[in-house]
Amino acid sequence: MMIAFILLGALTLVGGVITIAAKNAVHAALGLVGTLISVAGLFATLNASFLAATQVIVYAGAIMVLFLFVIMLLNANAPITGRDPIPFVRELAGLGGVVLAGSFVILAVSYKDPRPLAEATTALGGGSASVVGETLLTRFLLPFEAVSILLLVAIVGAVALVQRPVPQPDDVPDSEPELLAPPVGSAISRGGNQPALQHRNDEGEVRA
Amino acid sequence: MVPTSYYIALSGILFALGMIGVLTRRTAIMVFLSVELMLNASNIALVAFARSWGDLTGQTAVFIVMTLAAAEVAIGLAIIVAIFRKRETTNVDDLAAMKG
Repeated sequence: MMIAFILLGALTLVGGVITIAAKNAVHAALGLVGTLISVAGLFATLNASFLAATQVIVYAGAIMVLFLFVIMLLNANAPITGRDPIPFVRELAGLGGVVLAGSFVILAVSYKDPRPLAEATTALGGGSASVVGETLLTRFLLPFEAVSILLLVAIVGAVALVQRPVPQPDDVPDSEPELLAPPVGSAISRGGNQPALQHRNDEGEVRA
Repeated sequence: MVPTSYYIALSGILFALGMIGVLTRRTAIMVFLSVELMLNASNIALVAFARSWGDLTGQTAVFIVMTLAAAEVAIGLAIIVAIFRKRETTNVDDLAAMKG
């Protein structure tokens, strides 16, 4: 068990370093995938089997696909080089990180388990889906429902943010009278009278 | 049985790595990736505490944090795409229009 922890912990930290240090954004995202899968393994060593599966499916699967999609969509894999807004920002951040990590390690060393680990682990029931689901739907019913509303808001918000702007009647220039009344019900009637042509190219890339 | 303090130390180091990334990277997407590192560090600590106390509350909280992270990524990446369409950049230093 200790060997598994050391290996998975080392993989987690290596993935984290790749994530924050890689010049290429795609490499950074792949480093984060390594970290997420190692964290799933750590969950498995902590008697949280359902969470380990969820971590692989939701985080390493769905969220990282979204990240890679946007990175490639925006051509953001080239690094931004240039002036730093704050001088010595890297050194300051490194110093702050070392101080933060050191204080966390000191706090961790001073932590004592409230009762023997073997006895506490049996109370978890292996962290299977049934016991976690029972806790989720009894003691945590209200947060569970709040999260469902949050997901609905996120879906609606994401769709509203990335849709092409619906032109208002006042925006239509007078010089293009044929665009004033697009055919009702046609697929391009909502966005067909965009004034700028590059928007359509933009949308074409988004759909491709 | 690996002691709980090892897991918490690992979580703290990972959290500090994520903080360094948030402070030093210039692209908004890279800042988001670093925030994901910090969320995962907190998740490790929550599951470790759940095993330490023999209570499933920590594991349930991780489930909710995961859902929050998914919602945050969906909204945040939509905002990044919208900004990129308008400004042709996602450099966080150039996106100071609101002076926040």
